Amino acid sequence: MDIFNTLLSIQSFAATISFIAGALVVSVVAFLMISSKNVEEKHLAKEKVYKVRDKYFVFLSACIVAGLFISLRLLPYSPFESHPDQEVTVVAMQWAWKMGIGKTDLSPSEFQGINEVTVESGKHIQFLVTSADVNHNFAIYNNAGDLVAQTQAMPGYQNKLDYIFPEAGEYHVLCLEYCGLAHGFMTATIHVK
Amino acid sequence: MSQINSTDFKKQKNLIALWSYTFLIIFPLLIILGLLMRLNQGEVIDLGIDNFYVVMTLHGLGMAGLLYSMAFGALWYLLASRYVKLNIKVGYFIYTTVIIGVVGLVIATLIGKFGAGWYLLYPLPFKGTFWPGWATALSIISLILLGIAWLIGNIHVVYALARNFGGLANIIGWQYLGRKKVDTELPPVVLIAAISLIPGVIAFLAGAVFLIMFLLQNFEPGLNFDNLLVKNLIFFFGHTLVNITLYCCLGWVYALLPEYSGREWKVNKLLVYSWNATFFFILFAYFHHLYMDFVQPKPLHIAGQLASYFSAIPATAVTMFGVISQIYRSKIRWTIVPTTFLLGVAGWAIGGFAAVVDSTIAINKILHNTLWVPAHFHTYMLTGVVLFLLGFLFHLTQTKDEQVKDKLSITGFWTFLIAAHCFVASFYAGGLNSIPRRYSDYTGIPMASTHSTGATLAAISTIFIYILLIGLLIMYFSIFKNLRQWYKNPSKT
Repeated sequence: MDIFNTLLSIQSFAATISFIAGALVVSVVAFLMISSKNVEEKHLAKEKVYKVRDKYFVFLSACIVAGLFISLRLLPYSPFESHPDQEVTVVAMQWAWKMGIGKTDLSPSEFQGINEVTVESGKHIQFLVTSADVNHNFAIYNNAGDLVAQTQAMPGYQNKLDYIFPEAGEYHVLCLEYCGLAHGFMTATIHVK
Repeated sequence: MSQINSTDFKKQKNLIALWSYTFLIIFPLLIILGLLMRLNQGEVIDLGIDNFYVVMTLHGLGMAGLLYSMAFGALWYLLASRYVKLNIKVGYFIYTTVIIGVVGLVIATLIGKFGAGWYLLYPLPFKGTFWPGWATALSIISLILLGIAWLIGNIHVVYALARNFGGLANIIGWQYLGRKKVDTELPPVVLIAAISLIPGVIAFLAGAVFLIMFLLQNFEPGLNFDNLLVKNLIFFFGHTLVNITLYCCLGWVYALLPEYSGREWKVNKLLVYSWNATFFFILFAYFHHLYMDFVQPKPLHIAGQLASYFSAIPATAVTMFGVISQIYRSKIRWTIVPTTFLLGVAGWAIGGFAAVVDSTIAINKILHNTLWVPAHFHTYMLTGVVLFLLGFLFHLTQTKDEQVKDKLSITGFWTFLIAAHCFVASFYAGGLNSIPRRYSDYTGIPMASTHSTGATLAAISTIFIYILLIGLLIMYFSIFKNLRQWYKNPSKT
């Protein structure tokens, strides 16, 4: 689907930039606490700070523009012209998943699916996700425990989640929206050939 | 500054003492609820699934409500004791109504076992519940009481400020944007109070709308409200409440830090532009909670990311650099108050950055509803808001000389802070390992590595909760003693 999903690098990217930002904050705090032992004329000190601020403002603005430019090209939403190779109906209910190949005209409560489905790797799969009762979240994990794709399962609405499984194997579905007592036990399996 | 007579001052002093004691007593109890949750997730104790979600609901509702109430109470005191006459009867009405609401929520959760989570995502409070209908009804009514109290409080403060400073446009600083010289300077805390409390009014009205819908649903189960609409109302309310809690705290950082640095902090054009922009970012950033609702119109998702990204400009380039210019080479004495304020700003910066990371749609699709979410809001609250509140309490009750002598509090503070950062680190690590949030335990997860990582991180995190509680206890020795002396001594302001 995109390079981030394929390489599963979002977590490491988030970790790296957050660590750098955290280290920067700690360094600034330490610098301020040490430098405040000295005294300087109020307006001179402020002038120095404002000079740094001006540079920071330019840097931050550039980061924001670059961040938006890159990240807004990687949205998970289906384009209108999306033509999946295979569609999978997914209905969430307290506390199970009903899945089946293809679309359905049945209502979520009438739909008869099971908690496992088989799809092909390298194909564009579109999950048509809804709920028969409360809000749930359809989250797909690979066997190593990395979250690879997700969307909300909401009563009265159908969310379309596109995903290309990069390789064959077992994938697991967990619920990622608190939905009541057995929220943590609401699982299903996707077999990828 | 307005002139406050000694009788009125004494009344305001009684009120803030009441808020302070309430906060100080309830806060560690709510931490203990959090500890129980992590112990359960770490498989150290077995609460039972139903009890876990009851504890989770009370911990979330309690912390969000308590921290906002105390932040608002402190802002009220600061404004009432320095700048504007606030009606003490309204103050007591707010306090009493909040307490009645809290008692209702405690009964609904601990006795009624209400466990729908702190934001009661519709229609969960009504479907597949493990608690009786009366507990849902009591929770809704209690939350309505809290909403009424906060709404009246916010309206009263905004109205009083507007009356005192020449109108609504003036308290949001618009007189600084014209060419004419400003006659009466606006204290920064007034500008920030207005910018925080006006979105609060809008959020509490949104909260009132969905709570009334809930009440109708409770008595007429056949009703069926649009899910996406209710979700938008809930997240707008919840996000704004948490956001303005921190902004209320920043109000007094702007007011009090100059008293320690010896450098004045005035309103100017840049500050007005910055905080007016923040006003809109507060209102629109909440869309980032709904990224995984793919049916929400795409422009609203993008609006959420834009508002979240651009909010970094006023927050860092204006407020945080403002703090830096207050401190840099100021020869400030690092007593407990400026230390809590500086480290609180640092916690805000770290938690805020993690929030901006998660507000990136392309990243949120992987981090959404993992432990990254509690990671960033615990950083923001525990190492941001809570430090500001503790700083406020120390400022209230100790003179600067007393602060210099009080080495015990500083020891307690660093113990608390380091443990708090280690504690939130366990959440970040969980998020990066795709551990889901809001799981009573991880035994139901089929991937063995996810189960064991989640449980191990939870168990490790409890060590830091014990340590931060020790740090808090050490600070409490000083705070309680000082609060009592301050309250009894009429000469102490």
